[in-house]
Amino acid sequence: MENIGSLAILLAFCFAVYAIAGSVAGKLKQRPFLVLSAQRSVYVVWFLVTVASGILVYAFVTDDYRFSYVAGHSNRSMPTQYKVSALWGGQEGSLLFWSWLLSCYGMVAVFMNRRRHREFMPYTTAIIMCVQTFFLIFNAFVVSPFKMLAVGNLITAVPDGTGLHPSLQYPAMAIHPPMLYLGFVGFTIPFAFAMGSLITRQPGEAWIATTRRWTIVTWLFQSCGVTLGAAWAYDALGWGGYWAWDPVENASLLPWFSATAFLHSVMMQEKKGMMKVWNMVLIASTFFLCIFGTSLTRTGLVSSVHAFAQSTIGNYFVTFLAIGIAATVYLILDRLPYLKSEAPLESVVSRESSFLFNNLILLASSFAVLWGTLFPIISEAVSGEKISLDASWFNRLMIPIGLFLLFLTGVGPLFAWRRTSVESLRRNFMMPGIASVLLVGALMAAGMRHFYALISFGFCLFVALTILAEFYKGARAISAKNGMGFLAATVELTHRNTRRYGGYLIHMGIVLVFIGCSGAAFNRDITAEVTIGSSISLSPYTLKVADLKEGDNGNYLWHYAEVEVMKDGKQIDTLKPERRFYKANRTPLGQVAIRRRLNHDLYINFAASENQKATIQVYIFPLVNWIWIGVVVLVFGTLVALVPSKVKMQYVQTVVVEIGKKYATVEN
Amino acid sequence: MLIAAAASLLTIGVVAFVVFVRERDLPPPIVPSPFLHLDERKASIYENLRDLQFEYRLGKLSDEDYQHTKIDLQKELAAVLAEVDRVKAEVAPKGTLVSKAPPAKAQAGKKTQGNFSCPHCGAEFAQELKFCGECGKAMRSA
Repeated sequence: MENIGSLAILLAFCFAVYAIAGSVAGKLKQRPFLVLSAQRSVYVVWFLVTVASGILVYAFVTDDYRFSYVAGHSNRSMPTQYKVSALWGGQEGSLLFWSWLLSCYGMVAVFMNRRRHREFMPYTTAIIMCVQTFFLIFNAFVVSPFKMLAVGNLITAVPDGTGLHPSLQYPAMAIHPPMLYLGFVGFTIPFAFAMGSLITRQPGEAWIATTRRWTIVTWLFQSCGVTLGAAWAYDALGWGGYWAWDPVENASLLPWFSATAFLHSVMMQEKKGMMKVWNMVLIASTFFLCIFGTSLTRTGLVSSVHAFAQSTIGNYFVTFLAIGIAATVYLILDRLPYLKSEAPLESVVSRESSFLFNNLILLASSFAVLWGTLFPIISEAVSGEKISLDASWFNRLMIPIGLFLLFLTGVGPLFAWRRTSVESLRRNFMMPGIASVLLVGALMAAGMRHFYALISFGFCLFVALTILAEFYKGARAISAKNGMGFLAATVELTHRNTRRYGGYLIHMGIVLVFIGCSGAAFNRDITAEVTIGSSISLSPYTLKVADLKEGDNGNYLWHYAEVEVMKDGKQIDTLKPERRFYKANRTPLGQVAIRRRLNHDLYINFAASENQKATIQVYIFPLVNWIWIGVVVLVFGTLVALVPSKVKMQYVQTVVVEIGKKYATVEN
Repeated sequence: MLIAAAASLLTIGVVAFVVFVRERDLPPPIVPSPFLHLDERKASIYENLRDLQFEYRLGKLSDEDYQHTKIDLQKELAAVLAEVDRVKAEVAPKGTLVSKAPPAKAQAGKKTQGNFSCPHCGAEFAQELKFCGECGKAMRSA
């Protein structure tokens, strides 16, 4: 089995290299046989990496502890779903998983475009395979997952493995890495199309039209991955937060910022033929930030709570990034005349400029987070002292940036394309503007004094009203014309331009996320040492410890407290915060108990226990659930944006039907 | 032994799949079109015009903004159409041009409701349209 796995990876590496050479040579020498053969290599690479990954998963499921990687990341008492997810639980497996996902993406992209974009597809294939080759080098030669345990020359097995890290034995954590990886890996495809188009100096926007759905789907995966990570931190870590600006968390956020900027600015290119250089820079930045994020996660470059071991693969990533960035910069500079904007920016008060601002702010966010993340390395290089920037540094910087972005989310749709007169501004800004000022006034009158929270709630209302107004006005116009009911007219409106109205729904999701995050300004907590029968008060609740229990289920030892939740003298719930001690890798882990409500969460962490005494931490997190609801709305909006629009423009196309010796025949 | 056989079979299978490309497996050759980019621009201007019209109907735009932007878009459209004509004259001088005005590609596979022709340029469409997809002029009163 292990031999077949190693052979499959080695063959995949050879075919990936062949695909690069075959595509480029086939295109340059005009040999369609070679181009098709290279395309088939891409399918073969997918098949071989799938075989290798399948073998590793099989080894996990059948507890084959001859494999060093399996013995280090699984044990017999682990549930099967975590044995499967152990594939991406460590260095070797996760790099193989990266390769597999890329081979899937590459295979689908090449297959779907096998008869299209003949001009640049060979280069696109070559670039996808360059990235594939880079990861296959790890799988085949550097950190092979098929290393076996041996005594002398004899392959041997240990009786049981050391198990998957306990923090990874959690449902959200089992799907968080694949989601993020799907997002990270996916941006290889639009990047490869963009570079293919750039190499062959394509005049149009074909690469954008082709990769539009890829980009949206990949962005969706990335958004889900980031959120699942936050949800896992909130549910599993027991420190009561969902975002700590840890380097690995930041690594997932960096490409998300640039990808979001790209999704917006690409509309400018499609609508007006503007920002072509910018879009190339953004898609390249997104791709390289994805690679950088992977390297940050896998190499232990910056110390992180995710506690991945230091490894030597960092040099490979640095080399790949250096070569890739240098080649991309050269290509963009060399092809600048082909990326000339087809229209100028006509007015500062226009939707174009709001898109431009949005882009600049998103890129500034990305740069700020990158700077903060790499600061320990930079400070060590400059002063010899490793200085890490804490969460408060990031919050000081990112909260105002985030609020400005939120404001632009509302302002953007109110501006018209090209120019907006004072009259148009008055019409569109008046109602949401007044409503927001009234809300802020009412909140201040009610005693709220937190500056950022007030601004945030004001902007949230402003943006929500602008979005609702878009739906209301559009649906009313359709309803008046076609005699439809309002709800049917809203569906019809959305279906006519799914990309625009899906986008508005995504913005609405972002508003809800901001509402949820603003609640953090009002968090409260208390920590107490308790015994059976003692009580803790955190308004509006009184918590009574009814019981403290402990036990062993084979995989871990557990302690839990049974806590009765009282409100106004009545028992309304019973919560059971738990603390586990995983035996295989001797690691403790908390299992918090949460009473979720729309206004706030009651969150109890079992921090420690000794001699029938337990340390309990109780938190009240206002509005936090709106973050998760917001993400659900965001996912729904993205899915809507992926549905093809109902109304398609009809226009006459001019095609060349035949090329004679002297002249071409053209049809209108 | 079994492992060796499986390894050989795997290697031979994938090499054969990649190397043996038959003539009939090749995709049919396509004629590269210099109009592709211009058609994209044309489509995008039509879409911009449609969006402008819709936003005006919703009351989001002042009359002044609407008129200005509409004129700008029509000028851009005229420039693109002129460019199409210029390229056409370059690749297919008079006499080799076959004008058929087929239904647009975007509508392929959709149910046809009859023929509608533009009173200004004569282009034909499968559906009734407000603006002509060829010359951009109004096909019927709004």
